[in-house]
Amino acid sequence: MTNLINRQPSPEARVMHIRDGEVVEPRDYNWFERLARFLVRPFTDAWHHRDLIEAILRRELRERFKGSMAGWIWAITAPLISLITYTVVFGGAVKLPNNAESHSPVDYGLFIFGGLVAFNFFTEMAYRAPSLLHEYSHYIKQTMFPAEMLPIISTLRAMTYASIGLALMLLCQAIFGSMSWTVLLLPLWIVAFLAFLVGITWMLSAMGAFTRDTAYLMMTIAPVLMFATPVFWSTESLSPDMRLLMYANILTGYIEIIRDLVVEGKLPNGWVVAWTAFISMFFFWFGYWFFRRQQDAIADVI
Amino acid sequence: MSSELDDDVVIRVRHLAKAYKLYDSPKDWLKQQLIGSATNPYYKSFWALKDISFDVHRGKSVGIIGRNGCGKTTLLQIVCGMTRPTKGEIMVKGRVAPVLALGATFDPEATGRENVLIGGAVLGLKRHEVRARLDSISDFAGIGAFMDQPLKHYSSGMQMRLAFAICAHIEADILIVDEALAVGDMAFQKKCTDWMDNFRRTGTMLLVSHSPSSLTQLCDTGIWIDNGRVREAGSVADVTHAYRRATFLEKEDMRRFSHS
Repeated sequence: MTNLINRQPSPEARVMHIRDGEVVEPRDYNWFERLARFLVRPFTDAWHHRDLIEAILRRELRERFKGSMAGWIWAITAPLISLITYTVVFGGAVKLPNNAESHSPVDYGLFIFGGLVAFNFFTEMAYRAPSLLHEYSHYIKQTMFPAEMLPIISTLRAMTYASIGLALMLLCQAIFGSMSWTVLLLPLWIVAFLAFLVGITWMLSAMGAFTRDTAYLMMTIAPVLMFATPVFWSTESLSPDMRLLMYANILTGYIEIIRDLVVEGKLPNGWVVAWTAFISMFFFWFGYWFFRRQQDAIADVI
Repeated sequence: MSSELDDDVVIRVRHLAKAYKLYDSPKDWLKQQLIGSATNPYYKSFWALKDISFDVHRGKSVGIIGRNGCGKTTLLQIVCGMTRPTKGEIMVKGRVAPVLALGATFDPEATGRENVLIGGAVLGLKRHEVRARLDSISDFAGIGAFMDQPLKHYSSGMQMRLAFAICAHIEADILIVDEALAVGDMAFQKKCTDWMDNFRRTGTMLLVSHSPSSLTQLCDTGIWIDNGRVREAGSVADVTHAYRRATFLEKEDMRRFSHS
């Protein structure tokens, strides 16, 4: 307690200034500066709260397997079993759905598994997002907790499990197939997919704070989406018109790209990449904007 | 109403008002989002604060008194930045330590140590700062070996002591305290009061309490809030005296929550 007597002014002396419900900035910014500030804001905020993100993430990861003896072994067993199942069940298929020759029985297993890793990652986020803010309602209402960090934390948590599947997939590809240099582009895919998921979670969690219908909506959509998404098949087996229509499904691009990079070992179509990158950026910043717009109301209704 | 803050004033509040939007059903919320306007809304506004103005000077300690539902807690939440005011202006300069809703971040399954790490992070401490203070926090709470036990094995008094101990280690410029004096047993209450007395020597404090006697003990000036407005402000003795008189005279109106 003695340290309080000779207290120095705290290094991060901050000023909060709000007038008529709007934050008053130290000076006026022109539209370009405002846009730039908005675009970098999610990153600077996340960096500022990095220790908080880490603390909550650690707790969530510990909680997931609390009370189970095998713990993390389950996280590895589940994707391994599903990979083996697909290989055994579809191993007899001589041709891949995109008419390429199958080189080994594992090929089709990996083909499906690549799609599943991405799709399951998405559904895990979509199922949890609507109730995310309710889970942390006491944090949001009663502490200075930055609620906009929750979707980031939740995405990072899901990523740890998804990366187990991803690592398994790469391992099998290295053992049974051939690893192409295009795998090196995978980190770019991960960044784009994470941005997309964080954005979706910002939107869904903000909506879910106001109405439970968001949760039911996701539970209804996700299973249908599984068959409308090329997880078990390839868009290359469709007519050109139908293929174009498939890209209206926001997940199609991500699944095709990860398949091209890892399983097929080729560069993805440029248009698909451009469209997917656009989706990532759009959802990320739109989701952030939407969440911030609702944030004050969220603290009051939740 | 200039935006420059006098060097001596750390909290400035001008005509502050806060409305909560009350929706009858989620359907109304959706309608408001899609087709609603501010002039003809689908929600009802509940004004928890109507018109509050005051200044808090550096190193001063201000007590806020008022009946349940008068807007005290809303005011503290606004000062901490937990919720945003609807109208009016507020400026707060410095690091704020909220001693309200103690233990809101506590997870009964996690150990005391883990809870301190999370609680400290939520209060804005960096990881290394919390680690450096762990022993001191455990000493202050006086829970010794229980630090490595899950929180569910704690008594509620021990939990509150741990929660207060975390708040006491933020090294804030401004301490915001809400009814937290009723923490733990007599010995710990005295420890808290001593600690706050000590804090007053260097820091600024905003304190809410129902008890006029603890306000007189800890504060320099007082503000009496009634129905979302400042009813009286001045020296803590005058304000608590007026408040005591009024509560003695005015009968408890049981129906005051039914009409807003």
